[in-house]
Amino acid sequence: MTVVVGYAPHKGGRGALDLGLALAHARDEPMAVVTAVPRQWTTPSLARIDAEYAEYARQVGEYAEQQARGYLTDTSVDVPTAFRATTGRSVPSALIAAVKELDAGMLVVGSSVESQVGRIVAGSTAEKLLHSCPVPLAISPREYRSVAAAGFTRVTCAFSDSSATGMVGEAAALAARLGADLRVASFGVRGATMYPPEVGLSAEDSVLDSWVKQAEAAQQRLVAEGVVGPEVQCVVATGSGWGEALSAVEWRTGELLVLGSSPSGALARVFLGSRARKLIRYSPVPVIVLPGYPDV
Amino acid sequence: MADRGSSPGNRTNLLRRKPVGTEARTHGAALSRSIGTFQLTMFGVGATVGTGIFFVLSAAVPEAGPAVIVSFVLAGVAAGLSAICYAEMASAVPVSGSTYSYAYATLGEIVAMGVAACLLLEYGVSTAAVAVGWSGYLNEALRNITGLELPRAVLAAPWDSDPGVINLPAVVLVGLCMLLLIRGASESARTNAIMVVIKLAVLAMFIGIALTAFDADNLADFAPFGAGGVAAAAGVIFFSFIGLDAVSTAGDEVRDPQRTMPRALLAALFIVITFYVLVAVAAVGTQPWQDFEGQSEAGLSRILELVTGTPIWATILAVGAVISIFSVTLVTLYGQTRILFAMGRDGMLPPVFSRVNPRTQTPVQNTVIVAIAVAILAALVPLDYLIDLVSIGTLTAFIVVSVGVIILRRREPDLPRGFKVPGFPVTPVLSVLACLYILISLPWVTWLVFAGWVAVFLVFYLVYGRRHSVLGRELRQEPGPVEEPRS
Repeated sequence: MTVVVGYAPHKGGRGALDLGLALAHARDEPMAVVTAVPRQWTTPSLARIDAEYAEYARQVGEYAEQQARGYLTDTSVDVPTAFRATTGRSVPSALIAAVKELDAGMLVVGSSVESQVGRIVAGSTAEKLLHSCPVPLAISPREYRSVAAAGFTRVTCAFSDSSATGMVGEAAALAARLGADLRVASFGVRGATMYPPEVGLSAEDSVLDSWVKQAEAAQQRLVAEGVVGPEVQCVVATGSGWGEALSAVEWRTGELLVLGSSPSGALARVFLGSRARKLIRYSPVPVIVLPGYPDV
Repeated sequence: MADRGSSPGNRTNLLRRKPVGTEARTHGAALSRSIGTFQLTMFGVGATVGTGIFFVLSAAVPEAGPAVIVSFVLAGVAAGLSAICYAEMASAVPVSGSTYSYAYATLGEIVAMGVAACLLLEYGVSTAAVAVGWSGYLNEALRNITGLELPRAVLAAPWDSDPGVINLPAVVLVGLCMLLLIRGASESARTNAIMVVIKLAVLAMFIGIALTAFDADNLADFAPFGAGGVAAAAGVIFFSFIGLDAVSTAGDEVRDPQRTMPRALLAALFIVITFYVLVAVAAVGTQPWQDFEGQSEAGLSRILELVTGTPIWATILAVGAVISIFSVTLVTLYGQTRILFAMGRDGMLPPVFSRVNPRTQTPVQNTVIVAIAVAILAALVPLDYLIDLVSIGTLTAFIVVSVGVIILRRREPDLPRGFKVPGFPVTPVLSVLACLYILISLPWVTWLVFAGWVAVFLVFYLVYGRRHSVLGRELRQEPGPVEEPRS
């Protein structure tokens, strides 16, 4: 197994390198830094332009490797690192191909440069990978820096209901592997008040209240069913928005947020929205998205 | 059956009241006392205009003739009096919500259940009625803009005077609103204000254009059916004043309620009655009253088309109606789901109604059930039947509130009330009388259906709610609902 870091120059990929290194060290695995480079036309043509383009692609790959090496300044640990440039139909598919080829256990990418420092905005690549990556996908916040030797302190699993029990188990296994504590957190958001308020302005408070009771019951079932041990901290956090809900709990340095995401159809995403995406947006720590589980 | 529920003290059992605490206002506290007269007036106008005025004339004018103008005033006064009583009830009971919550806290469980039956008509059936009205305007707008007309079979209910098979646009509208609610969408205060402006603007346009074709001869035979006709039409028209009570549900967030509440209510009532009366005068001035019958689809647009001879203005009005009625449907459907949610939490309905989907964090099953029921009504029942049902349900709920105010003053005179009805006891008594006057003129079929509906609800209460009620369990010191284990 290996940890693959998707790296593209000029796209603020340094945070991904730091996170990848820390994860590889904690998992005791090698790291592979993969850059997707342009694919040239496979049909040879008489014009020299094809060869020029291939040369350009090669240079992009070399430049990326050079830059990534320069960024890997964390010398606290010694992780064997390989560099490679691959081509694909698109950046996400090139990365997924590399993941399969290297039999990787995890793919790490960075936040889009659109985001604020310390936050994550899933760029076009991460967005695509969110619903298609076959292995856990880690996304680092913008400008994320870490000292790999310090390791990870805690893994928080975003949990909503019993249909995601398997995800909590997987998060627990991950926490154990990383040598970190586990915490189960349910994040609830109060629905916006409907205007004009025909049934009062606080109708949504009672909906949220019911949700909190259900979430607490579901967390208790996790303990009762032995999915997590009784020592695991369980929290229910609410707010009038995702940002408020996420900042209602404390976060440690060296913490990770784990959530689930499934390949959902475009229609379902439009009408139901991707909860995972909202949590990712407001997470103050790196996020790991586990494939094959319902959205949060 | 003959167990705990019907043991001694049965009567007090049925009238057991939900004790009210203050803990229900966690989020409200942060926002408390932030609403002023203007915003409250906007709530009232926004919730009221748009439900009925766009399609109520075709049903009301044939009942009263041009005297429908008087019916509008009568219905408006009754709604206004009730809304004032509503405000006192809302301020005396420190729970936010609907008449159901107020009745549960003051008048007892079985009354609350009866009120809930009325509210299903006020919200659920009225959503269906609004959706049917929307369908008419949508068809009008589509035909004028694209030249295409939907076939009659998918436009009208099978028991309509001009029958079809199913009212498909209404079903689609309810379905869209359902998806939005499941997603957790809501209408913001700003959107509400925009919708109010759109509604009032198209109505003002209607008034302006229709008045140019005003012909006093059309009003010559002013009240062909006398006072009875006026009352009968008021029963139909009452539908278009529903929503005024929304003002009072916001009571606990209002600054200086004793001053703001009556002002906002009167201001909203004044705006609404003014617009309605002007619309009615303008409309009956354009054509003989006998012509209104059969203009049930997109009635106001049809009149504009007849007056101006071009479809432009009619189309603008229809588009305005399509946009604003969409939002009314969303808000009313939402109201219905949250009332049933409150009932589910109280144990009066099966827990499926109060279950929140963990991921969407909205009551999905509740929303789907309500939407399906509303869609079936909208698809199959003609508009005029729906309107009568809404009116009878709302009038009854209003009477309960007015009577409740009197009872509460007697029983708990010292209860702190943020707002007190001016002119007690005359105002609530007048409110009851006004509502009764309109009620007795409604057709007997409506009464029959209504009585049956309330009976079904009460039977359901005796069979299910009485024994599953959370309050009853607490009084009997039984464990809570078994479905969700709690610590």
